[in-house]
Amino acid sequence: MLTLICSLPVLAQQPGGESTEFFEKRIRPVLASRCAPCHSGSPKANLRVTSRQALLQGGDSGPAVVPGKPEESRLYQAITYRRTNLQMPPGGKLSDEAIADFRQWIAMGAPDPRTEAAPAQPVTKQVDWDRARKYWAFQPLTQEARTIDAVLKPQGPAVPDNAWLRRVTFDLTGLPPSPEAVAAFLAHPAKAAAIDRLLATPQYGERWARHWLDLVRYAETNGHEYDNDKNDAWRYRDYVIRAINDDLPYDQFVREHIAGDLLAKSRLSKDGSYLESPIATTSWWFGEILNSATDSVKSRADQVDNQIDVFSKTFLGLTVACARCHDHKFDPIPTADYYALAGVMHSTRVREAVIDSPQRRAEIASVLEKYPLRGAAKGPRLELREGDQLFEGFDKWHPEGQGITISNGVADSSGPGTLVAVGSLTSQKFRMPKFWVHVLMKGTKYAKPRPGEGDLRLTVVADDFKSVHFFAKGEEGFTWNSERMTFSKDRSCYFELVDRSRSGYLSVGVIVISDHKEPPAIEENAVLAPLVGEPALDAQLPASAFAMISHDEEPGNVRIHVRGSHQNLGAEVPRGFLQVVSSDARPVADGSSGRLQFADWLTSDARALLARVMVNRVWAHHFGAGLVKSTDNFGLMGEKPAHQELLDALARRFIESGWSLKQLHREILLTEAYAKTVPIRRLEGEAIRDAMLQLSGRLSGTLYGPGVVPFISKYQDGRGKPPTGPLDGDGRRSIYIQVRRNFLTPMFLAFDYPLPISTIGARGSSAVPSQALMLMNNEFVLQQARLWAKRTIAEGRAGAELVRSMYLEAFARPPAPQEQSAALDYLRQHGDNEESRADLAHVLFNTAEFSYVQ
Amino acid sequence: MFNRRQFLARSANGFGALAALSLSETMNAATRQPHFAPKAKSVIFLFMDGGPSQMDTFDPKPRLRKEHGLQLPFRPPTTVFNISDKVLGSPFEFKQYGQSGAFVSELFPHTATCIDEMTIIRSMVADHSEHTAANYFIHSGSGFQGRPSIGAWVNYGLGSACENLPGFIVLESGLIPPGGLDCFGAGFLPASYQGTLFRRGATPVADLEPPAAERAKQRDKLQLLSKLNAGVVQHFAASSEVQATIQNYELAFRMQTEVPDLLDFSKESATTKEMYGLDDKLTGEFGRECLLARRLVERGVRFIELLTPQRPGLDRWDQHSNLEEGHRINAQSVDKPIAALLKDLKARGMLDETLVIWGGEFGRTPCAQMGDKGITKDVGRDHNPYGFTMWMAGGGVKRGLVYGATDDYGYFAVQDKMHMHDLHATILHLLGLDHLRLTYRYSGRDMRLTDVAGNVVKEILA
Repeated sequence: MLTLICSLPVLAQQPGGESTEFFEKRIRPVLASRCAPCHSGSPKANLRVTSRQALLQGGDSGPAVVPGKPEESRLYQAITYRRTNLQMPPGGKLSDEAIADFRQWIAMGAPDPRTEAAPAQPVTKQVDWDRARKYWAFQPLTQEARTIDAVLKPQGPAVPDNAWLRRVTFDLTGLPPSPEAVAAFLAHPAKAAAIDRLLATPQYGERWARHWLDLVRYAETNGHEYDNDKNDAWRYRDYVIRAINDDLPYDQFVREHIAGDLLAKSRLSKDGSYLESPIATTSWWFGEILNSATDSVKSRADQVDNQIDVFSKTFLGLTVACARCHDHKFDPIPTADYYALAGVMHSTRVREAVIDSPQRRAEIASVLEKYPLRGAAKGPRLELREGDQLFEGFDKWHPEGQGITISNGVADSSGPGTLVAVGSLTSQKFRMPKFWVHVLMKGTKYAKPRPGEGDLRLTVVADDFKSVHFFAKGEEGFTWNSERMTFSKDRSCYFELVDRSRSGYLSVGVIVISDHKEPPAIEENAVLAPLVGEPALDAQLPASAFAMISHDEEPGNVRIHVRGSHQNLGAEVPRGFLQVVSSDARPVADGSSGRLQFADWLTSDARALLARVMVNRVWAHHFGAGLVKSTDNFGLMGEKPAHQELLDALARRFIESGWSLKQLHREILLTEAYAKTVPIRRLEGEAIRDAMLQLSGRLSGTLYGPGVVPFISKYQDGRGKPPTGPLDGDGRRSIYIQVRRNFLTPMFLAFDYPLPISTIGARGSSAVPSQALMLMNNEFVLQQARLWAKRTIAEGRAGAELVRSMYLEAFARPPAPQEQSAALDYLRQHGDNEESRADLAHVLFNTAEFSYVQ
Repeated sequence: MFNRRQFLARSANGFGALAALSLSETMNAATRQPHFAPKAKSVIFLFMDGGPSQMDTFDPKPRLRKEHGLQLPFRPPTTVFNISDKVLGSPFEFKQYGQSGAFVSELFPHTATCIDEMTIIRSMVADHSEHTAANYFIHSGSGFQGRPSIGAWVNYGLGSACENLPGFIVLESGLIPPGGLDCFGAGFLPASYQGTLFRRGATPVADLEPPAAERAKQRDKLQLLSKLNAGVVQHFAASSEVQATIQNYELAFRMQTEVPDLLDFSKESATTKEMYGLDDKLTGEFGRECLLARRLVERGVRFIELLTPQRPGLDRWDQHSNLEEGHRINAQSVDKPIAALLKDLKARGMLDETLVIWGGEFGRTPCAQMGDKGITKDVGRDHNPYGFTMWMAGGGVKRGLVYGATDDYGYFAVQDKMHMHDLHATILHLLGLDHLRLTYRYSGRDMRLTDVAGNVVKEILA
């Protein structure tokens, strides 16, 4: 491709006639045939090639032609195909001769007799804000008093009490009601009390947390090639369950999601040991992470795009990400607004952090101070060569927890002298400049980090992918550990030193980044005084909690990415929020990302929309469809609300109640409408699985904690495949099965489980044969049927009572006579034994009623 | 009630069948028509996972041999390994074949005999330099996880012509490409359109059959189920969704019986088996895949994807080292079966309506990827999405055409560039689908396989 860079004599501008002739003969035909089809009329990239002025003015990326300077002219750069991201015409290169002509023509001063004016359009067009704000979703809440039944005027009969109880129990807890609960309710059909009882169970939080996780594309692995773990992701899942069970005011919940690490006052866990609020900020980071990106800037831009997409849909029901490449085509969201938000996120990063509460920190400190002080470490002296580069000192890194001390340039995770101490130390981001990293380190021998299992490592994190690990070898003294930065070179990297082990330590003397494969010579090695064992004290050291949380770093504005390309930058945009729902200017202070203002803005300027969107989500889960059917899109391309005044009245009362979701549930569930008009609905895969576990008696009541590895069948394969977890997931509720991006649970997928890619407020509800195959043949289903059969035997059930009790457990109703007799006939024919009862249980799992609520 | 027409509608997509979000959608899908008369009815995609080298297979570059070991005269773009700019000449000899006289390397002597059936595209361009994103891209037109795979789009667009099998089947071969099963996912389309992975062995699909101990009772249990479901129907009144759910058990049962018949090669002739290389250790695996692909096309399956066979010590076509040996083994594993597939389809009059596509997620660099010892026999090549080769045969593409060209080094496509979006647009066109009109509303946008790009390349249409 370089054969064509011919060295042509640079001609001085010729007198008019000749140069015009050159243009007319050699340039104009090519412009007309190869460029003008896209670059005239409504031109691509706003570049028109139809006049000299148009070429000089250029398009979104600036001037196309710099007269006299071919190498500086984008047009020439494009046609030479020398840059991979700028190659024109796109269908194939011009002939070498034509390219030489263009070079000559530009060198001549680009003579061009065409004089048509070039009305280039700006990238961002003007929005008529007054008009835009008249759209219903951007209006303040209407003030009409409206109640659900008064608006919907439900007609017809209400569902029977037992069907109502089954529905509301699934709706609120994701499980069927127990026969005892059914009997109690039928004796005293007090709906309000039943709802309050269900809202008070921890299973309510588990159920509704899963709905929320659908919105924030919750996943516990990175996906991509190796599907590595996202450490501590599960803490966020537990945070959501707790928040919902505690009825945390929704506006507070939102504030914590946006800026939980920055709030002046953080909520504490129930036992006071760790901070709750920062955990919510994990939600920014559930996206896919590339393991070997070749372009750090693009990777980060894509990550920010996903963050904006998820957050704008989740909280505001707006598709802001559409404005990445151009002004939103339908909604009043200019590209500038997108990059105002992007600036906030580009100023934010993620860190493996310690979230101990002040009280817990004090407890740890009070134990640590009892340890005898270890003598100061001695740093190494090295013979550095040309091409060696010392990495910046640990005192500039960010410490987490109290387990890491820095002494004479040596970072030591045994803190003031105990292997039990934990913590992390994180460097600033930098572009990995060379191919080799040599680390002079010592510490407890450790192999492969597993999440939450005592990581002890120095890691190069490249574009948020934990790329290369340095592990200590357990040897005496400091030794070199060298790794090639094959995938990390030139990428945006940081180091993290992580000690999550209560039985090991890691010390790093120095990090050398080098052109050389061999580490530099040591003139004098680093030395660390030996630890004095204090087992009695060790046992007293309270545990620390780690989480994957956001924090601000290098805050700054970004420039508009013209057509979404990071290689084509336009004007800088101050960090900020969506103008269409802004009443006040909220300038973001230098030195902060702006997330705090973002949280303020969302819960004040944007609160009407925030409340509408959430109320609609709750409505949709109870009624099968939202008042606005497109739950994640309240924009012009979304659907209009069926009853805006009702939606607004509910939103108003939601806010007035102190943003209480439990109050909202009560208001919706106690209506005639809920008793009369809800259509038959299919359950989610998780509810179907959990119901089986409940009937089999295998359901574990354990709440919270690291996820259970999913069962991996021989039909699931690919890189990053984990060793399989138990077939029955240890009986844990489905929300506790790890969400491994590349190994999602097939049973869930068969029932329309959402991929953790973007916000999904309304799952599909398909009825396909793969579901029948799953329920008929899957080993888990058969296993649970067998357990249910065993339980009926252990409990001494028999005959008609057996069938009746099984129906009550599964369907909250007794069997009809023909059902009773069909079941009993089967047991008579095949013998009433465990085997046949397992068959019956299995068939009940397969009846349509098992997967549907009335 | 559920009438015959609706029943057929439901079965139109086989296993995956249709999302019964509403009956209207179901009906819509059943009567789904192509946008214009299609040339191809089925696609067989021979996915060469890992990225075969263009300059060692179908795109000869004599200049590489002349400059072997010299520095490339320009700075190459960032690659995954960023490891070398030393030119590596191809170790393989090229020869001209057929009336078209196209060059093919010694790696594909059998496939080369079908050269006059093929359009070789030497100017493919893709957007991603590493496997996972590139795999998502070639399958879905996006480098990210979670977009519908082309097989899902095709079934969404056309429905399936097969009642008892999925419309999009992926034949597993021991290797799942980086990116995992999401390469074959349905993304935001209804889950029923996703690719179904057929494993080797008697039970290729998960949960297709009950465990052995359960089989004897299956009929009795289904009878009981039918009786109990009758009660449910009464109880729930007439809900079309519930009806569909009940009906699915009949479909599921039919599928259970269809698969053993599909896998039974006993009626295939000895000549056929020999032709596909079924008994040969090297060709047996891909031969089985190719023969199975033909049988799936015969049954009306729309989109069949074949995966590169696993070979001990080799990481797919991804020869960062040991290019010569690795490419030789990979090529030998697929060459004879591919030729057999093309000839068999032709002989049975099926090639005209079956589009066969060959290629990987990208090609390879003209440079040697090597260690400290310089260019030795065990060097390889890095990834290169800027210019590489794919070929298509049958299904309405030109016969005996070489389309497009890379530069003298085979690094960049320079003539008649065919971007992956263009290839996707062209494939859909051959199936009677306009890529601009095959859309699905998601996230406030009408999404397409070709994103916001793609042109049908008319020059390669027959």
